[in-house]
Amino acid sequence: MSCLIVQSDKTLLLEVDHEQADACRRAIAPFAELERAPEHIHTYRVTPLGLWNARAAGHDAEQVVDALVTYSRYPVPHALLVDIAETMDRYGRLRLLKHPTHGLVLESTDRPVLEEILRSKKIQPLVGARIDPDTVAVHPSERGQIKQTLLKLGWPAEDLAGYVDGEAHPIELAEDGWALRPYQQQAVEGFWHGGSGVVVLPCGAGKTLVGAGAMAKAKATTLILVTNTVSARQWKHELVKRTSLTEDEIGEYSGTKKEIRPVTIATYQVLTTKRKGIYPHLELFDSRDWGLVVYDEVHLLPAPVFKFTADLQARRRLGLTATLVREDGRESDVFSLIGPKRFDAPWKEIEAQGYIAPADCVEVRVNLTDAERLAYATAETEEKYRYCATTATKRRVTEALVARHKGEQTLVIGQYIDQLDELGEHLDAPVIKGETSNAQREKLFDAFRQGELSVLVVSKVANFSIDLPEATVAIQVSGTFGSRQEEAQRLGRVLRPKADGHEARFYSVVARDTVDQDFAAHRQRFLAEQGYAYRIVDADSLLAGEEA
Amino acid sequence: MTTPRDTGSSGGAARGGPRTLAEELRARPDGALAGLLRARPDLLNPVPGDLTQLATRAGTRASVVRALERLDRFALQAAEALAVAPDPCPYGTLSALLTGDAPEGDPRIAEALPRALATLREQALVWGGEDRLRLVRTARELLAPSPAHPSPTGLGPTVAEATAGMSPGRLQQIIATAGLPGTHDPVSAVAALTALFEDRTRMAELLAGAPAEATAVLGRLLWGPPYGTVTADPAPHLRWLLDRGLLLPATPGSVVLPREAALHLRAGRAHRTPEPVAPALAPATPHSVHTVDAAAAGQAFTALGTVEELLAAWESDGPLVLRAGGLSVRDLKRAAAVLDTTEETAAFWIELAYAAGLLASDGEVDERYAPTPASDDWLRLPTEQRWARLATAWSAATRTPGLVGSRDAKGRPLNVLGPELDRSPAPEVRRRALALLATLPPGASVTADTLLERLHWERPPRTPAEPGTEDLRTRLARWALAEAELLGVTNRGALSAPGRALLGPEGSPGTKPLSDAEQGACAVRAAALLAPLLPEPLDHILLQADLTAVAPGPLKRPLAQMLGVLADVESKGGATVYRFTPASVRRALDAGQTAADLKAFLTEHSRTPVPQPLAYLIDDVARRHGHLRVGAASSYLRCDDEAMLAEILADRRSAPLRLRRLAPTVLAAQAAPDALLEGLRAMGYAPAAESAEGDVVVTRADARRTPPRTAPAPVPEGPPVPDETLLGAAVRAIRAGDLASTAERKPVAAPAPADGGLPRTTSADTLATMQAAVLTGAAVWIGYVNAEGAASQRVIAPVRVEGGFVTGYDHTADEVRTYPLHRITGVAELADEHA
Repeated sequence: MSCLIVQSDKTLLLEVDHEQADACRRAIAPFAELERAPEHIHTYRVTPLGLWNARAAGHDAEQVVDALVTYSRYPVPHALLVDIAETMDRYGRLRLLKHPTHGLVLESTDRPVLEEILRSKKIQPLVGARIDPDTVAVHPSERGQIKQTLLKLGWPAEDLAGYVDGEAHPIELAEDGWALRPYQQQAVEGFWHGGSGVVVLPCGAGKTLVGAGAMAKAKATTLILVTNTVSARQWKHELVKRTSLTEDEIGEYSGTKKEIRPVTIATYQVLTTKRKGIYPHLELFDSRDWGLVVYDEVHLLPAPVFKFTADLQARRRLGLTATLVREDGRESDVFSLIGPKRFDAPWKEIEAQGYIAPADCVEVRVNLTDAERLAYATAETEEKYRYCATTATKRRVTEALVARHKGEQTLVIGQYIDQLDELGEHLDAPVIKGETSNAQREKLFDAFRQGELSVLVVSKVANFSIDLPEATVAIQVSGTFGSRQEEAQRLGRVLRPKADGHEARFYSVVARDTVDQDFAAHRQRFLAEQGYAYRIVDADSLLAGEEA
Repeated sequence: MTTPRDTGSSGGAARGGPRTLAEELRARPDGALAGLLRARPDLLNPVPGDLTQLATRAGTRASVVRALERLDRFALQAAEALAVAPDPCPYGTLSALLTGDAPEGDPRIAEALPRALATLREQALVWGGEDRLRLVRTARELLAPSPAHPSPTGLGPTVAEATAGMSPGRLQQIIATAGLPGTHDPVSAVAALTALFEDRTRMAELLAGAPAEATAVLGRLLWGPPYGTVTADPAPHLRWLLDRGLLLPATPGSVVLPREAALHLRAGRAHRTPEPVAPALAPATPHSVHTVDAAAAGQAFTALGTVEELLAAWESDGPLVLRAGGLSVRDLKRAAAVLDTTEETAAFWIELAYAAGLLASDGEVDERYAPTPASDDWLRLPTEQRWARLATAWSAATRTPGLVGSRDAKGRPLNVLGPELDRSPAPEVRRRALALLATLPPGASVTADTLLERLHWERPPRTPAEPGTEDLRTRLARWALAEAELLGVTNRGALSAPGRALLGPEGSPGTKPLSDAEQGACAVRAAALLAPLLPEPLDHILLQADLTAVAPGPLKRPLAQMLGVLADVESKGGATVYRFTPASVRRALDAGQTAADLKAFLTEHSRTPVPQPLAYLIDDVARRHGHLRVGAASSYLRCDDEAMLAEILADRRSAPLRLRRLAPTVLAAQAAPDALLEGLRAMGYAPAAESAEGDVVVTRADARRTPPRTAPAPVPEGPPVPDETLLGAAVRAIRAGDLASTAERKPVAAPAPADGGLPRTTSADTLATMQAAVLTGAAVWIGYVNAEGAASQRVIAPVRVEGGFVTGYDHTADEVRTYPLHRITGVAELADEHA
C-alpha cells in the first residue's frame, strides 16, 4: 500500500503517517501545490501553473508521471497522465531570448504554436517584425506584458533573456552570532538559481532575512516594496542589524519621506498614489539602475504594481509571501510577472524545526442575550455582521479572557474602531488604529516589546509586518468578514518563537448562531487546512473555569 | 456481348461445366452448401424448396447486396474486377485485371486470389469452372459501371456499350480516323475498334500521336470517374480524342472514356491499388500486463461508481421523458454535470445503464426515467459481478450513444434513450474489434487507426463514404474502442484480462458468436479475473480537524451510504473526500439519526479520534434541530380559559373535529373552520369566527355577491347604423371604384353576387361548367383561393381543362394562366352583357 491517492479532480491525497510519506512529499512538491495540511491527510492540487512551475524548475513530465505512478495506491487514470504530459509540454515551446542583433525575440520550437499566438489580437501589438519562420521580435518594453498574455493563452513562455546586473553596491550579511537558518539558505539559493521568483514562508519564519540574503547575493542596488510605513521601518531596522548596510545607505520612500538611496524601501501606497490621472512616483523605478526588486507580501500586491512590474522584467525580482492564495485570484499574474514559486515550506514543518512557536487556537462561542438576538434579527442585512461582531456580550467575554491571561503579552485585534475604542477604555489599554501617528505607533510597539505594556488593542492596520516578538496571546474580536489571509496574518502575530517556549494562544471570539459564526468557520478552515487544529469552546464553560 | 441467363439457356454443357448456378450448386458437396447457408443465412428464411429455388434466391438483389457488403476488401475487388471482365471470364483474365500487365505479376495477389475466389464461390456469387468464371448476374449489375452508379474501379462502359445507338456513319468516320480499314457493318466496326484498344502495341502507337493536352485529359479520366463534359464545339485536343473514339459520347454534352482504352492506360489494372493482404496489426508500445490489468480494473471500478451515481441521482429526481421519447438535451447536460463528465460520456453511461436494464421510464402519466427494481438486485451483487453484468449488456447492445447529438434523415436530433439509436451492426463490429485485439499478446495494443484500417479492409463499405465523413462501421468501431476504454474492457488500447475472458472461452476469444449460456460462463470467468484486481472495500475513514473525512479507498456499501447522508462529497477518485457542513449534519438528523448515533457511528468507523470541532458541530446542529416545529392544521380554537379548552378536548363529541392541544390556550383542529364552528355550536358553545388578522368576523345571513361585473352589451341584429360621415365616405368610394372599373375593359368588371361572397359550386359542377365553357369559348366568373389562402374573383375564358388544372385567358390579369381546379371555389356563367 502506497501513501498517495490520485483523485479525479486532480487533487492528490497524501497520508502523512505513512512511512513513504516524506519521500512522496519530496517527489510531488515540485509540481503540486499543497492545498490543505490537516493532521492525517494532506491535499495537494495539480494545476497547470504548478506543472509549469515544475518545468521552470527543470523537472520534466516523465518525472511527474513517474512520481504519481510510483507512489499512487490505485492505478492512475491514463487520461490524467496524458493531460499532465500535454500541459507540461506547453511550457517552453515559446522562449524569450536575447538576440545579438534584434534585441528581445520570441522564439518557437513549434511553428504552429507561434502561428497560433501571432494570430491572437492580444499578441499582435506586443510583437515586431518576423525575423525568420520561428522567431519574431518583441518590443523590449512589452516583455512582461507578453509573458502575461501568453500565459493566459495557455502557452507560457520561458524567459531566458537574462537580467541586467544593475548598479553594483557592496552588501554583506553580518552574521555575528546568528546565521541564516537552513531553510532560509535554501530559499535564497532557490531564488538565485532561478533568477526571479517567489519564496513562500509562513509568518514569523524570517522572510526579511531571505530578502537580506538575496541582496547579499546580488550585491547591487535594491528596491524593496512593502505594504506600509511601519513595515518599511522594520525592514530598515532589520537590514541595518543584519547586513553591512548602514542607515545612510538605506532610503525610505513613503508618504512622508522621499529618499532614494542604494537600497530604497518604498510602500505600495505611495507608488499607487494617483494624481491627475498619472502615477507621479513611478519614476522611482527608473531613478536608479536597480539590480534587484524585492516584493514583500506578494499576495497583497496591488493591481497597478503589477502593471509597473511588467516593465521591470529585465531586473531580478524576488517575491516574499506567507501564502500564494490571493483573494482576487491573480496567482497567474504573480507567476508570469514576478516568477514561479522557487521555495515553499509548510508551516507545520518549520514549526517542527522549532523556528516558529506552536499555537493553541480556540474559538470561543458566545451566547448573545435575548435582547441582542432580537436586535440582530431585525438589523439590516449589511449591518448584521457589524452588529453581532461588536455586541456587548462579546466585549465582556474578551475582557474576561484578557483578565485570565493577565501578565502575558496580549493583543486584542479587531475591525471596528468604536468597538476597539470601547475595549481599550475598559481594558485600560492603548489603541493603535489608522489615525495613530507612526511615531506614536512605534513608541507603543516599543513599550509592548519591553514589557512595559502588556495589553495592546490594534485595528487592522497592524495586520501586516509588525513585529511583536513577545505576544503570546491574541484575541480577535472581529475581522474583515471571512478573509482567510487576515486570519493567517493574525495568527502569525503569535507564532514567533517565545523566549520561554510558552505555547501561544489564539482566541477568536464569535457570536453564536450569527453570520459571525459563518465567517469564523470560513476563516478557521484556513487554519485547519494549515494543520492548526482549533477547539471550539462555549464562553460560559470557559469562563466558569472548566478550561485550563 | 450477351450475358447467358443464369438458369435455363445452353452454355458450356458440352464442355462438361455447369450450365447454371443451380446446376453447380447441385454438384457441390453438402458441406459446401452448409457453408453457403452459414455465410448467407438470409437464404434460409424460409427454407428453399430445392436448389433451383436456392439459386434463384441467391440471385435476388437484396440477398446479393447483403452478401457483397460482407466481403472483405480483396474479395470485393475480385468481384469488381469480374464485373468489368468479359462474362464468362477465364482465371487468367481475372488475374491479369488485378495484377496488370507486369509480366511477373504480383506474388501477393497470386497467393490471395484463389482464396478470394473461393470466398466468392462459397457465397455463390461466382460459379463456373476456372476457365469460365461467372459472376452472378445481379452482382454484375450491382458492380458494373453505369452512369448512375460509377463502379468503384472507376472504369466506364465498353466500346460496344458506349457506341450502341451511334449512327453507322459516325462509326465509319471514327474507325477511319483511328487508321482502321473501313467496314460498313457496325458490329465489325465496333469489334475492330475494341481490338485496336485492346492491342497494347497499336494503341501505344495511336496515343503517341496525341496532342499533349489530349493526353492530359485522358490522365484526368483515367482512374475515374470516366465521364467528362464537352461543349458543342470541342477544343481541338478533345476533337482529336472524339474523332478516334477515345472519348465516346455518353449523353448530350458529356463523353466517356471507354473501358478498353482506360484499361490500356492503366496497364491492364482494374484497381489503382489492389489490396490483397489485410493490413497488419503492428503493435504499438507494449505495456506490462500488470499495468494494463490494474488500470483497467481501476477504470472498471470508476465505471461502476459512475453508474451507481447516475442511478442515485435519478432515484429521487428522474428526468422527464420527451414526448418523442428520450432525454432532453438539458437533462443530458444536467446528468453530465452530476457525473462530472462530458455530455458524450454521460450519454454512454446513461445508455449503458439502460441497456443493462438498470433504468427505464416509469410509464406514469408524467413519464420519468427512474432506476428499475432490477437495479436494486444489481446493487446488491459483488463488485466484479456488477461489472460483468454491465460489460455483457454492453457487448450485446445495439444502442449507439455515439450517435447522440447528430440528426436523423429527417433532420430531427437524436436524443439519449430516444428511438432510432439502435444500429444493428454495432455488436458485431464491437465484437470483431475486440477479437482483433485479442489476437495480440496480452498487454499489447495497436493504435485505433491501425485497428480501424483493418476493420475497414475486412468489411469495406460497398460505396465509399463521402470525403470528410466516415462510414457507419468505422464510426461504430471508433465508438466501441472508446467505450471499451471507459468500461475497463481495454486500457491504453490493450485488452485487459477480464475483457479477454468476456470475449469467449480461453484460447479462442472472439472467434465465433456465443450462445447465451456460453456468454454467461464467460461473464463468470471475467468476473473471477476482475475480482482480485479490484480494491478491497474498506470499513474505516479518517476524520480531520478541518471537518473533512477521507475514505482512503472504496467503502463498504452501508458505510458509504451513511456517510453520503452525513457529509457532502468533495472529491472523488481512488479515495473519497467528504466534508461535514451544518447542512449535511442536519440532513442526517432529518433522516432520523440523533447526535449520539452520529458520534457513535463516526467513532466506530474512524481510524483517528473524532476531532473536537466535528463533535461540536454535530452537537451544535442537533441543539437547534427540531427546535421549531411545523405542521398543518385546518383551523384553530383559542380561548383564554384553559379549563374550557380542556373540557372541550375531553368531550367525546369533539372527536370528529380531531382537536389537538398545541399550547394551554390553543387547540388545533383538522376540521375546516365552518365545520368547527358548527360542531362547537352543536356541543352548546357559542364560538366566534376569527379573521386572518385576528378580528372577530361578524356573521350575518349575508347574501352572496359576485366580484364587480359590467353589464352585458346588447347584441344588435345587424351592423350598427353608420353615421353621416361614414356614409358619405363610403358612397364616394363606391362611386370612384365604379367609375374606374367601367372606364376600363368591359369584361373585367365582375358582377358582385348577391351576397357579396365568392361563387360556390360543387366540384362536379365546376368541372362541367369549365368543360362547357371550353367548348363554347365563353368567359366564366370564378372564385379562386391562392396558395396563401387569399380569395379573389376572376373572369377567365377557359381554353383547356386537364389533369386537375384549368388553363385559360384571365381577363382580370390580362394574360393566360393556369389554375388548379381544387383551388377554384366555384364558377358562374357571366351575364350576356359581360361576355
